[in-house]
Amino acid sequence: MAEEKNEAQAPRALAYAPRIQVFEPHRASLPPIRGYMREFWRRKRFSLELARFADKAEYLDSNLGKVWLVLNPLLLAFVYFLLVTVLRGGSDKAHGFTTLAHILIGLFTFYFAQNVISDGAQSITQGGRLILNQAFPRTLLPLSSAIRSFWQYLPTIPVYIAVVILGKIFIPKADVHIFSWALLWIPYVTACLALTAFGMALIFATMNVYFRDTSKLLSYTTRIWLYGSPVLWLPEMLHGWHRVILYVNPLGPALAATSEVWIRGHAPTLAQLIGLLVWALIAMVFGGYFFISRERDFAVRI
Amino acid sequence: MLIDMPDDLAVRIEDLSITYKINVDTKKTLKNAVMRASKGEKVRMRTVEAVKHMNLDIPHGSVLGIVGANGAGKSTLMRSIAGILPPSEGRITVNGKISTLLALGVGFNPALSGRDNIILGGLASGLSKEEIANKTDEIAKFADLPDGFIDMPVRTYSSGMYGRVAFAVAVAMTPDILLLDEALSAGDAAFKEKSFLRMRELVKEARTIVIVSHALQTVKDLCTHAIWMHKGEILAKGEPGAITEKYLEFLNVGTLPSNDEDF
Repeated sequence: MAEEKNEAQAPRALAYAPRIQVFEPHRASLPPIRGYMREFWRRKRFSLELARFADKAEYLDSNLGKVWLVLNPLLLAFVYFLLVTVLRGGSDKAHGFTTLAHILIGLFTFYFAQNVISDGAQSITQGGRLILNQAFPRTLLPLSSAIRSFWQYLPTIPVYIAVVILGKIFIPKADVHIFSWALLWIPYVTACLALTAFGMALIFATMNVYFRDTSKLLSYTTRIWLYGSPVLWLPEMLHGWHRVILYVNPLGPALAATSEVWIRGHAPTLAQLIGLLVWALIAMVFGGYFFISRERDFAVRI
Repeated sequence: MLIDMPDDLAVRIEDLSITYKINVDTKKTLKNAVMRASKGEKVRMRTVEAVKHMNLDIPHGSVLGIVGANGAGKSTLMRSIAGILPPSEGRITVNGKISTLLALGVGFNPALSGRDNIILGGLASGLSKEEIANKTDEIAKFADLPDGFIDMPVRTYSSGMYGRVAFAVAVAMTPDILLLDEALSAGDAAFKEKSFLRMRELVKEARTIVIVSHALQTVKDLCTHAIWMHKGEILAKGEPGAITEKYLEFLNVGTLPSNDEDF
């Protein structure tokens, strides 16, 4: 981004407030970070409005479209639940309901991260005309996708709570918490998960500029990713060194912590809290560097 | 940092070079890259030297026309003045708020209304939502949009309407420096006259305009200065009439089709 400075000695005849911008070669492919962050902050409203308008454009003709956002993971959760219980050869009702609740909240949370990543991955290639015509921090485009994914994630929480309340009415023995103090950890878990997913969206958005099949490949990758995450299986099913699987997966600590808080009503473990923070930092630093250092290329490769 | 910029200059370009790499493979896919890597081949890249060691001063209140053949580096130069494509070498100093019309069309989303698209474009360029919202009716009026069209999806617009709105947005933002890349071909004769008038008003207010155009008559009529770019370098600069004449000589006009003048 350009360095800016108010020009005090500009001629008075000019009917505008001049400002000086200097464009120079980037050092180590990176623009001056302070200037970049300032512009990013100044135009944050753009991300918000872009998310709002994109939502409006997609559901212009049907309000039912939004219902599918909740209905889709809900139905999928039932399918996975049937699959898991059938494979396990059935179980008692109370345990079965706990599994269903775990799959449901896990799937909602996983879908949030998946949407941030996959929508963000396409945000640059789809923002063609805007990128060719105007100078602004390109990170605002995947940010807009992340904001939109968050809005889509929010209504799934009351749906989850409603399912659990209904379940507890019909199966009083079901061992699922609804409200506990541990829920206070959810903003921390969600923020770290959002940052991790956003950092990964930055990586895939950049790759998608160079290789246009990245977003296609991503749809298969996220499916495998889901099976490798503690959504269809419980984190406590892993013992000993196998528990490493929970932490090498960037979404692992977030999904394990989500289950810990919502299902058991426990605060996340220390390992989960650290894992969440470490993955958020790694994703933001690597993703941020990878993306920003290649932003210049976007205008010539779109 | 110390910025050495005379007050009367809108843009100063010093020893500017812009190079970038492009992938010349027909299939820009990960699959293709992996297949090539498995055969021990690299992805085919080409380095483009779009602008080479250019020096140029553009004073406030001037209209600079840039002429040159395709691939001369005109659009790259415009993008670098706009801050979209930072230099590889050298420096560009810009004194004032820039408005651009480099890729035709305001739209990002054809399903959204003209008003929504205008708001998004304005926000991206750093304006506040209120500032833009106040201007949308003025834009619709300037672009001669039929009643109510500003709130219709952009996909229902004719190509003329689309181009006129884009131009109206660019000038409505009261820029200090207006960059137009082949943007004057939208609209009929009446709209062209109107856009000329608006540009002259901007110049009277000491604002600056840079135009890239293949329509040499436009450059002659509107510009106060002109440059002729060829393969990333300035071949000639000076009075627009003389520059366009030299360029025409180079083009060997006799062999060109008569519809060269699109404006």
